[in-house]
Amino acid sequence: MIKLSIRYINLIVLTVFVLLVFSFFLPYLFPGDLLTNITGITPETQQQREALEIAFKLDKSIFHQFVFYIENLFSGNWGVSTATQQSLKTEVALFFPATIELVVYALLFSILVGIPLGFIGGLRHHKGFDFPIVTFSIVGYSFPVFWIALIFITVFCLQLNWLPTSGRLDLLYDLPSVTGFVLIDIALSDIEDKSAAYKDAFRHLILPTLAVSVVTTALFARFVRRSIMDVMEKSYIIAAKSRGFSPWQIFLKHGFKNALIPILPILALQVSTLITNVMIVETIFSWPGIGKWLIEAIYQHDYPAIRIGMLAVSIVVMILTISTEFLTRAIDPTREKVEHATF
Amino acid sequence: MKSYLANLSRILIALLLCGCLAACEKRDIQHIKNAVVYCSESNPSTFNPQLDTSSTTADATAHQIYDRLLEFNPENGRIEPGLASSWLVSDDGLTYTFQLRRGVEFHTTAYFTPSRSFNADDVIFSIERWKNESHPYHHVNGGSYPYFDSLGLADTIKEVRRINGYRVEITLDSPDSSFLANLATDFSVMLSAEYAMKLLAEGSPSRLDRYPVGTGPFKFVQFRQNQFIRYQRHESYFRPSQGIDQLIFDITQRSSLRMAKLITGECDAVAFPSQNDLVVIEEREDLSLYEEPGLNIGYWAFNTSKPPFDNPEVRKALALAVDKTSLIDAVYLGQATRAKSIVPSTSWAYESGARELGYNPVRAREILTEVGLPANFTMDIWAMPVQRAYNPNALKMAQLIKRYLEDVGIEVNIVSQDWNLFRQNLTNGFHDSVLIGWKADNGDPDNFYRPLLTCDAIPSGTNRALWCNKDYDALIEQALLTDDIEKRRAIYHKANLLIFEQFPLMPIAHAYQYQATRADITGMEINPFGGISFERVKRIQAIQEAEVRND
Amino acid sequence: MQRFSHYQEEYYPSPLMHVWIEFRRSHIALIGFILLLSFFTIALIGPLLAPFDPDLQNTNAILLPPAWEPNGTVVHILGTDGLGRDVLSRLLYASQITFGSSLLVVIVAVVVGVSLGAIAGLLSGVKSSVVNHLFDSIMSIPTLLIAIIIVAILGTGLVNSMLAITLALIPQFVHQTRTFVKSELQKEYVLLDKLDGARPLQIFTHSILPGMVELIVVQASLALSIAIIDISALGFLNLGAQSNFIELGQMLSQSLDVAYVATWLVALPGFFILLMVLSVNIVGEGLRSALRNRLSH
Repeated sequence: MIKLSIRYINLIVLTVFVLLVFSFFLPYLFPGDLLTNITGITPETQQQREALEIAFKLDKSIFHQFVFYIENLFSGNWGVSTATQQSLKTEVALFFPATIELVVYALLFSILVGIPLGFIGGLRHHKGFDFPIVTFSIVGYSFPVFWIALIFITVFCLQLNWLPTSGRLDLLYDLPSVTGFVLIDIALSDIEDKSAAYKDAFRHLILPTLAVSVVTTALFARFVRRSIMDVMEKSYIIAAKSRGFSPWQIFLKHGFKNALIPILPILALQVSTLITNVMIVETIFSWPGIGKWLIEAIYQHDYPAIRIGMLAVSIVVMILTISTEFLTRAIDPTREKVEHATF
Repeated sequence: MKSYLANLSRILIALLLCGCLAACEKRDIQHIKNAVVYCSESNPSTFNPQLDTSSTTADATAHQIYDRLLEFNPENGRIEPGLASSWLVSDDGLTYTFQLRRGVEFHTTAYFTPSRSFNADDVIFSIERWKNESHPYHHVNGGSYPYFDSLGLADTIKEVRRINGYRVEITLDSPDSSFLANLATDFSVMLSAEYAMKLLAEGSPSRLDRYPVGTGPFKFVQFRQNQFIRYQRHESYFRPSQGIDQLIFDITQRSSLRMAKLITGECDAVAFPSQNDLVVIEEREDLSLYEEPGLNIGYWAFNTSKPPFDNPEVRKALALAVDKTSLIDAVYLGQATRAKSIVPSTSWAYESGARELGYNPVRAREILTEVGLPANFTMDIWAMPVQRAYNPNALKMAQLIKRYLEDVGIEVNIVSQDWNLFRQNLTNGFHDSVLIGWKADNGDPDNFYRPLLTCDAIPSGTNRALWCNKDYDALIEQALLTDDIEKRRAIYHKANLLIFEQFPLMPIAHAYQYQATRADITGMEINPFGGISFERVKRIQAIQEAEVRND
Repeated sequence: MQRFSHYQEEYYPSPLMHVWIEFRRSHIALIGFILLLSFFTIALIGPLLAPFDPDLQNTNAILLPPAWEPNGTVVHILGTDGLGRDVLSRLLYASQITFGSSLLVVIVAVVVGVSLGAIAGLLSGVKSSVVNHLFDSIMSIPTLLIAIIIVAILGTGLVNSMLAITLALIPQFVHQTRTFVKSELQKEYVLLDKLDGARPLQIFTHSILPGMVELIVVQASLALSIAIIDISALGFLNLGAQSNFIELGQMLSQSLDVAYVATWLVALPGFFILLMVLSVNIVGEGLRSALRNRLSH
């Protein structure tokens, strides 16, 4: 166990290091002025340029620069955005929680709907409810997420006028960002009518969550169904059947756990797909998350923002993936290695 | 098994019910808070309109946060008192004396509490900042004041002098018949000298243009790039009104999303509704559409500093190759008049008989062969990424032009970038040609002729053709020396001919200006001379409720 | 003379044939297959099928609705867009670009991924294990993030977005090949090759590769559906194909400006993407079941 922990911690450290090195070299690869790419500041005079170069150790060797970069990162000094001249740390702290929030909603929805659907399909495969479930899982998985978001807007916002099209909360609520998670921030705020604010936040999150969830739910249903089908054919299940247990008993006692454990890491791997979809949906629903922020940074050629944003997102995703892998192996030590997306 | 299904269907039904409940709840917070949400099209690049000529910046600042010494009457364009309650012009037209209004309060915000009201020091500071290169604030945040620079106003003004706390005298070097009009434009805003000095003492002068303080009807609360700008009513505004308490600019770059937000009621008013959607807006009872012939010009400017566009013949050939009528039909959907010269027909300087080039691809091809343009010649057309009345869809127009130029053997590459980046690169002269336009800031034709094409307007970034012609500049100067409209008109007609011969740009259209709002919003009349104003905007229902309470 | 068999012959179909027999038992899979074939056809000869030049503008026929609407004309079966261009022709060209480029992306990813995976699998030792682990972790970086970085460095464009998606797809092939090669290396038939004196490369190409072709095809079908969605998503976000190419996602994004007056301009490209991905997924799913059934027989 300890050995395993050390191995995984090693892996995290190593990956983070690789990412740091990669992000360090990004400003050299980006087009434009290296100094601006690193600092986010466009010098107006030659003196200012020289002063900045010295301040950022650009006159020193690459190795010095790298150490300086790492020091700055760890001391929370992440530089400024060229577009807004705001501190990138503040900006990431402002936008990243919104993305995580949406990811969590979508993940919860997909788990609560997708896994039961997969169970039903897997247990009753080729019968009754299996057909609509298989259809949903294939069709749902085939939807381009941006298109389904647009369809939702057309139907629920423009035709039915039920739900708002954009943001996380009505702009009229002047909600100070404390944690960055809107539901927590409402609780912490001094808004008078909190239930109205919650209702408003809820109305805003329905459509983006659903739009992202369609694909993920379909995927989950499909994985779980397949896994249940495999497990239910195993000899120990057949043995249990022959001993006269009811299908429910068998399923709860053997099928449930044995079907879920092997696919947990596969589901965890889908977090990366999920984040891509969330980032796209953010731009459509004007959800103030890191995806929208990064894509706008591209439009505005805001290279310091792209560098830091990429680093923040990839480190979080990476740590998430590696820790799920670690957890699965800790729970189920018989597994030699996680099989990636072989479905 | 069954219970699973039952649970599932229960969950689904509950979700649907929630959705419906949430939906059936009417959006009434806007009424409770007496607020208006305006969907704007882009980010302001600064909160001081002195620094920028983009109408996005002007919309977000000029009439919300600030006031000017003088104001235009939006209906007839006459100059009216603003922060100056009266003014005197000397007989030789060189000395202007302004009597300032007393008791005008600056905004009290989270970052600044004024200790005194508006006075002569603020006027002097606001003008000296752009006029005087040695002023401590002149170089703060770029040191470029495009509107004033393009007019050469810093050189025209000899001195700004304080007579007493509420009286200021401005002397000019030469008479300038458009001087008062320039003081009433969006760019001539009055800043707080006290705030500026405080920031200077703190060592953060650049905050002046990012955390603005003015005297206007709304005070700045918060700006978040690509998201929103939040304003609050200025309680002690000198022109008391029954307007709204909160104003929010919801920054939405796509016109289709702005339209969606207008329909769902997330926005009360939108900037630049797409020409295609005008029909939809007119059909719906819950929306209103305002329309006004615009004082504007959409044009196609060639970068005259770059070969082969430095050759007038090439520029003319390019214009000959494009059918202007079809551009107007497809892009403005007929909601525009064809432009012959650069001023629209609503201006007194309009020349109905101005010469223009027709559509003649055969002639275009001949010229191009004569000047020896290489085969497979490729050029860039920069299409501005935002919608404007004068060009509601530059990208579409660029695609149309691309087709026409292919017919005469020219390959076109369309360039479109983020708006602030785009304008920066234009000022640097990176473009071959650009589809852009100009909206008048005052009714004087000088406001078209000077910023669009004079030499002074090149560094300030309003002369997108980078065209510099001494004869033209002389004509434009000459036109300002007299007040006689007939004489001025004759001079401008000469200028038109010069523009036609040199062809630095192809005038395309003068478009109608539109503004769409929810039906319960009043007071959003279009201001033909500059940025949008929310000072008189009200909610009808809010008014009715107030009346009920009074009864 | 009529020949007939005296013996009751047992017919053993080849493995490939067997898969096909299993595959065609599902009608839905067959429909998906036909759909997929038609997209292949479009990718190959799409431009020949288009009734108009997709860039031909006609300002006299702007925003014509499709033929089945009251104002539609038969000349433009699926109507015209805001510049009067024929939507059907544009859809055909766009499908060609979207499908063709996705196919290309997957082929490159398969070739590169399998080669790298084979090398990784044939090598062994601590170094390879560390590198492999690292590789796996990097695989979890979201595609869009990779695309954003590539676009930031190289600028927007179809080729650049293809490059980004290829990079994102390669790791899964590397991983699968490596795992497969590793497990096969333990088997006896490989040992036999080794005893015969075969070099590692020969072992891979002659013994292991034939056994994993089916696996790769199934994985590639999954990758193809991802590639189509990603290419069109990047086009939609204006990070992929620019106006010199017509691509479905980019077409959809450009149509948004006229969404209220011309719904079909938003509906059609999206529907085409859906159909394309759906057909790939149905065929992929059919293949998987067919392979599974063959093995269980």
